[in-house]
Amino acid sequence: MSQRKRLSNTPGSSQGKRPSSSSVAQEEHDDTAFTQPSTSQVQRGMEKLTPAQVDQKTAEVVQYFLVKDQKKIPVRRAELVKHVVKEYRTIYPEIMKRAARTFDQVFGLKMIEIDAKNHMYILINKLEPAEGPPATRSPTNPKMGLLFVILSVVFMKGGVVRENLIWSTLKKLRVDPGEKHEEFGDVKRVVTDEFVRQRYLEYVRIPHTEPVEHEFRWGQRADVEVSKTKILEFMGQLHEQDPQTWTQQHREAHSASGSSQASSSQR
Amino acid sequence: MIINYIISSTNRLTLEMKRAKGGGDEDGPRQNGAAGRRKGEQQKSDADDGDCDFGAGDLQEDDNDPGLRREIRSKYRDLINSVQQNREDMLRPSNNKLTEVLEEANKLFKDVRQAREAALDAQLLVVATDLGKEKASQLFAEGTAFDPTAFAEHLLSFMGLNRLEDGEDEQQNGGAVDGYLPQDAWHRVARRAQCCVRAAPSFHYMMGSFHAEPPPPKQRTERQRKAPGKEAKRIMPTQLKRMEGSHQEATEKEVERILGYLKSYYQDDPTSPISYYEFVIDPNSFSRTVENIFHTSFLIRDGLARMHMDNAKLPCIAPVEEGEVEAGGSLSRKQCIVSISPKIWKELIEAFDIKDTMIQPLNTHNE
Repeated sequence: MSQRKRLSNTPGSSQGKRPSSSSVAQEEHDDTAFTQPSTSQVQRGMEKLTPAQVDQKTAEVVQYFLVKDQKKIPVRRAELVKHVVKEYRTIYPEIMKRAARTFDQVFGLKMIEIDAKNHMYILINKLEPAEGPPATRSPTNPKMGLLFVILSVVFMKGGVVRENLIWSTLKKLRVDPGEKHEEFGDVKRVVTDEFVRQRYLEYVRIPHTEPVEHEFRWGQRADVEVSKTKILEFMGQLHEQDPQTWTQQHREAHSASGSSQASSSQR
Repeated sequence: MIINYIISSTNRLTLEMKRAKGGGDEDGPRQNGAAGRRKGEQQKSDADDGDCDFGAGDLQEDDNDPGLRREIRSKYRDLINSVQQNREDMLRPSNNKLTEVLEEANKLFKDVRQAREAALDAQLLVVATDLGKEKASQLFAEGTAFDPTAFAEHLLSFMGLNRLEDGEDEQQNGGAVDGYLPQDAWHRVARRAQCCVRAAPSFHYMMGSFHAEPPPPKQRTERQRKAPGKEAKRIMPTQLKRMEGSHQEATEKEVERILGYLKSYYQDDPTSPISYYEFVIDPNSFSRTVENIFHTSFLIRDGLARMHMDNAKLPCIAPVEEGEVEAGGSLSRKQCIVSISPKIWKELIEAFDIKDTMIQPLNTHNE
């Protein structure tokens, strides 16, 4: 029910209103040190630099993003400014604009601000995933399979699921959070820490529970990267049912696909 | 049914809050009828059970029985525990236990007099409403319900689970489906997942990083360089030897060697003269014959050997005695030029029936 409420908000504001879980909030802090320069400041800054210098800095930002994206950890604006942009901070918006253009035209990627409050960026693919077997023989990451299962259950259950349901479902798939798994190792850590840091999942504490329980929701990255329609299709295949029989989820998938495309505008 | 829970919970909470704020002057919607309502309750509805016993002096006498108070509190705690422990159970749509719990709580509430008990009541309500909310969300499934267990089963098949025919093993797994899950089970799921995800491909260098081992081509060039080196060395000795051949020393050595042969043959039989032809001719090689003649001539020149004619007027050669060298040197020395051609050489071989060479050739000359 809460998920529907979120989706009905305008795409721009929905991202800002999303609460961040307590564990994640600890590692982020407002980059109060950096204030977005004004257009006139940017203009003045640009005048002092040669085009080659600006291009070089843009290239550095692009490379920083690409390497950070290997682990799928979002890039924080504060880090970016501190480590890469440095003295070019006066023209930061211009650099970001150019970097976004490079990603778009050269790599076919979209740079998206998933957290407008804390200024975190991720890269997602501009292109739809290819149908049929993939062109490249890059090895698949089994963790994606695990994540996919969790996202599917959360989605099919309306967007919020208590952690116990996830653990019990995983146990049926022979993945026990209490034991070390062959492929995934410390399952609990992968699910509640790694996936959360990558913004694929949210692991939020439920108030008033004793002992402490958490619930899982889709993370900001999952919202923009994962197609609910396609999950529903997969469900249909697995259960040998028409995806439309899950009317609630079907409705959500189609309203979600509309809003996620609109919200993927770069700030 | 669920709506009832919600309404009754909300009512109860409202009552709690009213009491907490204001004094027990108003009875609120609940018809307790009891005169002695606690004044000055300041607990908020979600407070934990604590020792916040405000103003014990305000109690009316009826409500002062500590035993009864304790009993009520203990019952509340039991109810709270039962809800928390049997959560899974109570969540099932068929289960009505939540209603029972609330009804029980209602009964207990009638006897609540102190803040402490009310706090417990409030706590119970929080737990119950939480559960109620979850039960309500189960109604979410408009259309087909989604059953995670069925999903897991289907997914196992998708992953390629090899279900065993044997039913015995199911007992060991606690009822879970037994079978052999292939190694790439999760990879299959991951591959299927990729189709649904617009993830940016990870950046990586196409060729990877370089290896710290020395690359093969380097070793090959080293070998190539070594090979000519060996050949060069091989050439050197032969060249040197050839050079030695043209040197005086080589000739002298050869001459000495021949002298050795001559002396040994002479010692074998000092009375019998050694035919010159037999001595120098090598029936196997004309060139060696020439060389033998050449070297022998040195012996003659140096007075180490002498030639004389025997009875048949054929030349013979014999070494000069040690003592005679000088004496013979100053006296008569005759020079002659020896010439030989292959034809003559062959004729000589035939004539003298020379089968074997008396001067054995050195190995190097055989090359």
